[in-house]
Amino acid sequence: MAATIQSSAWKTLRKIWQSLGAIKTGVVLLILVVIISAAGTVILQRPATEADEMQRAYSPQVLRLLDGAGLTDVFHAWWFVLLLSLVSLSIIVASLQRFPNSWRFFSRPYKSADETFRNALPNHVLIPIKDEEQALSVTERVFHKAGFRAEHIVRENSFSLFGERHRLSELAVYIVHASLLLIFLGGIVDALYGWRGFVTLNRGQQSSQVEAQNGSKRDLGFAVRCDGAGQENYADGTPKRWWSDLVVLDNGREALRKQIVVNDPLVYRGIRFYQASYGNTGKIDRLVLAATPRDGKAPQDIAIGLDQTVSLDSDTTVRLAEFIPDYVVRDGQIYARSSDLENPAARLVVESRKSNHAVDFWLPAIPGFEQNASSPYTFEGKDLQMAYFTGLEVSHEPGQWSVWAGVLVMGLGLAVVFYFVHTRVWAAPVRDARGQLMLWIGGTANKNKDVFEQRFRELVEQIKTELKISSKAGAETPVTSLAGK
Amino acid sequence: MARLARAEQHPAATGTTLVVMVGLGVAFLLFMAFLNVVKSGNLLNDSNLLYAALIFYSGAGTLYLGFGVTGTPSYIRFASLATWAGLLANTGAVAHRWYESGHPPFASIYEMLLSFVWTLAVLTLIAEKKFGVKVIGTVTMPVAIVGVVLMQLLRTEVHPLVPALQSTWLHVHVTLAMLAYAACALSFALAMMFLIKDKMKTETFLAATSLFGIGTYLGVLTRFEKWGGLSVIAWDPERKSEMFIAKGARLFIVIPDLGWLMLLVLAAVAAPLALYLMWRKTGKENLIDIANRAVFVSILLQVLALVFFLLRARDGRYGSLDADGLFSTSLAASPFILSGLAGGIFVSLLYLLLLWRRHDLERMLPSAEELDRITYKTIAIAFPLLTLMIAAGAYWANRTWGSYWSWDPKETWAAITWLVYAGYLHMRVTRGWRGRRAAYFAILGFAVVMFTFFGVTYLLPGLHAYA
Repeated sequence: MAATIQSSAWKTLRKIWQSLGAIKTGVVLLILVVIISAAGTVILQRPATEADEMQRAYSPQVLRLLDGAGLTDVFHAWWFVLLLSLVSLSIIVASLQRFPNSWRFFSRPYKSADETFRNALPNHVLIPIKDEEQALSVTERVFHKAGFRAEHIVRENSFSLFGERHRLSELAVYIVHASLLLIFLGGIVDALYGWRGFVTLNRGQQSSQVEAQNGSKRDLGFAVRCDGAGQENYADGTPKRWWSDLVVLDNGREALRKQIVVNDPLVYRGIRFYQASYGNTGKIDRLVLAATPRDGKAPQDIAIGLDQTVSLDSDTTVRLAEFIPDYVVRDGQIYARSSDLENPAARLVVESRKSNHAVDFWLPAIPGFEQNASSPYTFEGKDLQMAYFTGLEVSHEPGQWSVWAGVLVMGLGLAVVFYFVHTRVWAAPVRDARGQLMLWIGGTANKNKDVFEQRFRELVEQIKTELKISSKAGAETPVTSLAGK
Repeated sequence: MARLARAEQHPAATGTTLVVMVGLGVAFLLFMAFLNVVKSGNLLNDSNLLYAALIFYSGAGTLYLGFGVTGTPSYIRFASLATWAGLLANTGAVAHRWYESGHPPFASIYEMLLSFVWTLAVLTLIAEKKFGVKVIGTVTMPVAIVGVVLMQLLRTEVHPLVPALQSTWLHVHVTLAMLAYAACALSFALAMMFLIKDKMKTETFLAATSLFGIGTYLGVLTRFEKWGGLSVIAWDPERKSEMFIAKGARLFIVIPDLGWLMLLVLAAVAAPLALYLMWRKTGKENLIDIANRAVFVSILLQVLALVFFLLRARDGRYGSLDADGLFSTSLAASPFILSGLAGGIFVSLLYLLLLWRRHDLERMLPSAEELDRITYKTIAIAFPLLTLMIAAGAYWANRTWGSYWSWDPKETWAAITWLVYAGYLHMRVTRGWRGRRAAYFAILGFAVVMFTFFGVTYLLPGLHAYA
């Protein structure tokens, strides 16, 4: 009883094994992948498309339906991953089922052509010869010139020739399949252990945490500091280059320093920092002012940052109390309209220590906000620099090396699959039905058969002419025509 | 037999009609290009070189067509010469553009077309000289001409590259893409020729032509039709770029009435298919005759639609549903509509050529087995190129965005293309698929390529928006 259950389970397993490796299964799975991924490009996808845009595009019922079926995030749905795993499994099983045969073919090349094989081979000829040794040595020479280093296959009292090129071509398809699995493996590793995040840094700021895609914080285990960031423009004003000077601080020590630009990230401990965005924080970095004393002394230039205090003389100081990059006055109040440098205003506080007296005013003067008391200095804005932030995309993809290795192997594999043909040639002295000594020459190729046929014919012609030359002492014998075509 | 009889019924004059039609079309396009040359002062720039290329390609295309129609062998010699001359001018245009912009010409749709046409001309000459497929120019040269004409209309200034595009890997990626796509185009042309040589019924080609037209106009209408008008992207003539109302949201304006015209053309291109289906059901021969006449009518209507679209998109200011005021547009803002309309006309003309001169065409083609084999060989070239193209793109994306695969529509469709050709190769190698089934597969593969190239860029949203 137990045995029958076991054998029936075994049968089912065998059946599954067989059907997994069948080309039909593979094709059905691939068609499914094609249909589902095409659907994933037509239906708007969740993380890339904002929630409100989704709501605008689809009615609530449709959206609920799509969400329920996982169609709004097709490429991360469990059933899509399952489908891809099935494809991988199918590739593995199909390769395993076919590999032993190919390996036998590869590892034990068929060198000595027997009679059945000789007659069945499509490309073969028979040339009447006088002397076995001489004919074989001529053939060997021609084979050698054509790139076949012929082996002597010894038989009872004579030998035959066997030559081949690019035997690896027989296994190339397994190389390609293996490379595909390497790529899948990398993808799976990244899906399981990879992550992406984002961090924004102002100049001089450092962070040891990044914000992951789901909004949670992730510790880097080290800190990254931005020493500067900037944008360079073309003459027409379009951006040419964004850059950030990054410093990696590991245990408080500076471990790495690099200027990153778009297309050239910083890599530390497998974590990559990409230049993703760059912009204006709306805050001021440095304001340069010309301060002219009221008593007619020479003006002086001062540079000042937000909340910084600068001495103008032994008695007077100035502080940058507030900065608005784009101000607007409405209902007797000053508001910031945007963070773009459109209509800037700075609030300065000038203090005199002796009189303990402070003047607080806007530069430029905003009507309705003038102070009655006048400052001992007048100010004029000369230059101002805004503080910029740099946005860094952070990613960790431990599986990517497997992917790149897979890509390289696939490139090599495809080159071998398409452009390396396994060609084999044989030559053996035989006797025909009437006892006449003949040289049998045969050849075969595993692909591009038409090209090989042409080459084989040329080879045979060459052997024939060389044979005639080297045996011109003997009587000319009629040559048989090509047996195969 | 009935098919042959019908072909014989047409007097020789029909062949001349075709040549005259092509000639008139060429003259119209030459005139449009000539206007551009008059406007620009200097002699040796990529615009003028492109103009020279257009003249030679047009000459070559006409001669190839003439060869297709009459089978005169001397036509082919001159056609080859004209193609060489066109290629020379095209190479000059590529070189000049490269020199002027300082980067290989792959950054905009204009530059991509420039490279694509160049590759196509090279492959045509290779197919003709190496494989002896002489009529290939009948298909590829008109494509090249349409490409150059599109470029004349799209004429763009050299835009500096945005930072994300400043990468050697991008250039590798796009070069490989152009090579792969040109090889796919060639395999498609060869597969079509195989079907002609393999005695596929002319009526089936009629249905396919009609289906292509329906697909094109349905695509245009579903994506761009609005209140009987045609909704196109507004164009800022000063900045020479599309207009945006918000970050990533283009401003659409509505050209009134063009939608109705397109709808009419859709009905006209669908009519042959309807008649074909009726013929399949009833078997009445005269239905096919009517269908063929309907194709002729649909060509006239398609030309009309194209001309109206050209005229109205080039001039005039139109209102928008999303913003106040009137805005102008440009042909450069609607490459999908433009190439769709031009492609529809081109395919219909090819059908007429087949209808009238099938016998001569068949005589000039290599054997069906030979065509089948060359189709396979071009795909054997295209597939590794596709693979490397995807890999280079992934590597570039990884350096730019930190992720080698993010399932954006272009990536996904590139993968689908790859899978279709992988399917073709598996069926051929393990199942021994030859002949028709293989040819259908090659055609399907190219359809997917076209969708990836044009459809995804203009019909679906994604990261590749600027290409």
